[in-house]
Amino acid sequence: MIDVNEALRYLGASGADEELRQRMQTIAREAGQSFAPRYTYRVSVVEHRAEGQWLGDVQLLLPGNSARKMLAECHHAAILVCTLGLTFEQHMRSMQARDMAQAVLLDACGSALVEAGCDAAEKEIAARFPDAYLTDRFSPGYGDLPLDLQPAICRATDSQRRLGVYVTDSCLMNPQKSVTAIIGLADQPQRARIRGCAYCAMKDTCLLRKGGHSCED
Amino acid sequence: MKIDRRKLIFLDGAMGTMLQAKGMQAGENPELLNLTRPEWIRDIHAAYVDAGSQVVYANTFGANRRKLQNTGHTVAEVVSAAVRNAKAAVGDRALVAVDMGPLGELLEPMGTLTFEDAYDLFAEVARAGAEAGADLAVIETMTDLYETKAALLAVKEQTSLPAFVTMTFDENGRTFTGCTVASMARTLEGLGADAIGLNCSLGPKQLLPILKELCSQTRLPVIAKPNAGLPDPVDGHYDLTPAEFAQAMKDAVAAGVSVIGGCCGTNPAYIRALYDAVKDMQPGERSYEEKSFVCTPTNALFLDGLNVIGERINPTGKKRFQQALKENDLDYIVDVAIQQVDAGAAILDVNVGYPGVDEVAMLPRVVKKLQAAIDLPLQLDSTNPAALEAGLRVYNGKAAVNSVNGEEKSMAAILPIVKKYGACVVGLTLDENGLPKTAEERIAIAERILDRAESMGIPRQDVWIDCLTLTVSAQQDQAAETLKAVQHVTDVMGLKTVLGVSNISFGLPNRLLMTQTFLIQAIQCGLSLPIVNPNQKEIMDAIAACRVLSRQDGECRAYVDRFAGEVAAKPVAAASSLTLGEAIVRGLRSDAARLAREALQTESELQLVEGHLIPALDKVGADYETGKAFLPQLLGAAQAAQSVFEVIKASLAEKGGDTVKKHRVAIATVQGDIHDIGKNIVKTVMENYGYEMIDLGRDVAPETIVKAVVEEDIRLVGLSALMTTTLPAMEETVRQLKALENPPCIMVGGAVVTEEYAQRMGADAYARDARAAVEIARRLLGGN
Repeated sequence: MIDVNEALRYLGASGADEELRQRMQTIAREAGQSFAPRYTYRVSVVEHRAEGQWLGDVQLLLPGNSARKMLAECHHAAILVCTLGLTFEQHMRSMQARDMAQAVLLDACGSALVEAGCDAAEKEIAARFPDAYLTDRFSPGYGDLPLDLQPAICRATDSQRRLGVYVTDSCLMNPQKSVTAIIGLADQPQRARIRGCAYCAMKDTCLLRKGGHSCED
Repeated sequence: MKIDRRKLIFLDGAMGTMLQAKGMQAGENPELLNLTRPEWIRDIHAAYVDAGSQVVYANTFGANRRKLQNTGHTVAEVVSAAVRNAKAAVGDRALVAVDMGPLGELLEPMGTLTFEDAYDLFAEVARAGAEAGADLAVIETMTDLYETKAALLAVKEQTSLPAFVTMTFDENGRTFTGCTVASMARTLEGLGADAIGLNCSLGPKQLLPILKELCSQTRLPVIAKPNAGLPDPVDGHYDLTPAEFAQAMKDAVAAGVSVIGGCCGTNPAYIRALYDAVKDMQPGERSYEEKSFVCTPTNALFLDGLNVIGERINPTGKKRFQQALKENDLDYIVDVAIQQVDAGAAILDVNVGYPGVDEVAMLPRVVKKLQAAIDLPLQLDSTNPAALEAGLRVYNGKAAVNSVNGEEKSMAAILPIVKKYGACVVGLTLDENGLPKTAEERIAIAERILDRAESMGIPRQDVWIDCLTLTVSAQQDQAAETLKAVQHVTDVMGLKTVLGVSNISFGLPNRLLMTQTFLIQAIQCGLSLPIVNPNQKEIMDAIAACRVLSRQDGECRAYVDRFAGEVAAKPVAAASSLTLGEAIVRGLRSDAARLAREALQTESELQLVEGHLIPALDKVGADYETGKAFLPQLLGAAQAAQSVFEVIKASLAEKGGDTVKKHRVAIATVQGDIHDIGKNIVKTVMENYGYEMIDLGRDVAPETIVKAVVEEDIRLVGLSALMTTTLPAMEETVRQLKALENPPCIMVGGAVVTEEYAQRMGADAYARDARAAVEIARRLLGGN
């Protein structure tokens, strides 16, 4: 199901009037019936090396401080690819030829839907590892995690064969409504560094928060 | 090659899985192992033959120029090593296939790789395989029918090898690109594949229903090469044992599958188990229904009952259409197509023949443009065989051709093309003796065309007959002859019939009534594919009624849906107080067009633009800037303005005058960037402020943009980039443009571009959004 408020937010139209909201609702309903996000993931042991976080089972190195910080307490990590697929892409193209105004609404619904797919994948991973605590999802482009990891993540998840997700020479994913993400698995509760303090397991006891700061400051 | 589908053929299992087991590293190029580890490759092939494989796939899945670039090795080198390794391993115990997988890049319109480039990449591999002595070619793991067609054409044209083709399907019976089983089967059989089937994607259990469907959609041998079950996402392991895999494959063989092997997760143990389990089986009986059929990948159209062919994509007698062709305005042609889709056409006739238009170049361009935007099968309409071939070549699916006639010259020129591309064809019942006078003469010509088509291997259900509508005011006796011929072709010959219906009423008053009446009579005689203007409500009304009477419209559902709303809808039309300005602001496209036509009775085109259109757009623009309106509303207004511009263009074209004089702006998404919705938004909005937008597309090389600017003398260029990875391409484009003798103004925009970036790279302006782009254009170019 597509969250209409979320879709309006992606469109930059949170202040939409009732008419626009209704239009978004209609498109969201249709899109939710016609398209479903699909995902695939792999889980690997994390080895904290000097040059970065090494995910040996999928032979992937995550360099930089952001990954180091996110995965500092993690023994495993999942790499995830989620997509609305090529049929959504085709539908977007045909909608753009037909009606650009509807197309931008559909585009925003697509963004909301692919995020909902990531949420579902995250839930599934959490269920497979009931004793683990999950970090926030983070993606190439977050902090200093380079975008050019995209091809390696897609290769490690075999995303072209499994989902029809391609990476171009300039590291863009096609279909465009595709997301790659990394989720760390740890033995202790993880801070909500990206989603914010409201989601954090430590929000009631956090010293940083009491001092008026957050762990991302 | 004719393969006996009652005999089993055993293929091999996975190559990648085996190479990983041998120690191949992630990210390593598997095809280079043909050169560096030939003993691994030979071991694997030999193990499969020992297990029972009669055909092995040489290790050439990704051995194309694109994937081998930067490896220092050529396609010929790698492919010949691979075939050599396979031959050395299997000797005369098995056949060796040159194997071609997907190119790893999406084809147009989803990606930017052209069909022609894809063909070239495959052609190189196919030729290298044939030269190295491969016994057959395999095209596998395909998800895009278009890419598959490019590969199959390459094999057929560049080699004489038999071609096995397999695609990957989901449990929902579609490929990732939405291709249906019927579209895949009937398109590939038409193109001359020797065996078709499924590989990879799922395990044999999940693939069984799809294999059963495939067996009913083709006369060719069917291939199944599934995975070893489903992988566990956590660790990537497949869930079937060799025995379970073999057991499940027995059901596929019982369903009629005769060419079998394994894909991901399988190894020689699986092939051995498979061989032992099924070697004494006979593939099950299959049933295939001969049916008239055309398709796109996602729209498999079985021509049961009555289907409308839309006739509007045709410049004859349409000044606005002629102008669009001359100006290369393909967006206009797409709009004409969309109207017909919405009006209920099932197939669109496409005719772009007009003096001064190079049909051989234009028809494939229009086909590509249309298939990117709409999902109806096309009927390519031309008297020029070269144009028909060019159009059929780039068509994605199974198309129709309009037309061949009974003249020897026509049959000799058209039917081989129809056969080669597996199209349907309209047989026009006239010949060197001119227009026939009687039904009998028409029937004789129809039989001659059918005989010739069948003798060339074109299935009879792919031949549709046009019994010729003549103008009743000129030749009144001919209407009955036409109808008699339609009846005979339908009942006795059992073929589909086509008629261009509206010709009947030419030169008469109340043409619509005459056309409608003739249409109904013809349908009564069996007409199945009327060529009409679906935008004429009365025509489509008659068709809706005929569908009810012939029981094609179960429970009158479509008929009720069509008319139930009418009674309620009428009183609402009291929106007569709506002004043109309001209609634009509220994004009411058809109201805006109607009001514009009314305004043109008293005002000039220019007054309409300056007095109504621009002020209305400015109002929405101001609301947008102050956060009272949002992007969909800005675009809605722009599109309503577009419909007003259409009215103005049509009015000017009728008068034979010039179009409104406008500034031209080139716009492009820079090289490497495929995210073009932002560019399209800017294009839509600017177009409706009266700028003529030259849309250069996405992933556009700096050189292409420079060339267009010089050739078209463009004074303003808009560039968009979405990702940090493509900013350097934007900088390079700006650099090249500014190095011109008479550099154009440049505005840049996109998610990662900022005012500061824009300045630093030497652009003249930074466009925050589409509205800002309009302001910049006004400032830099003036006017509008």
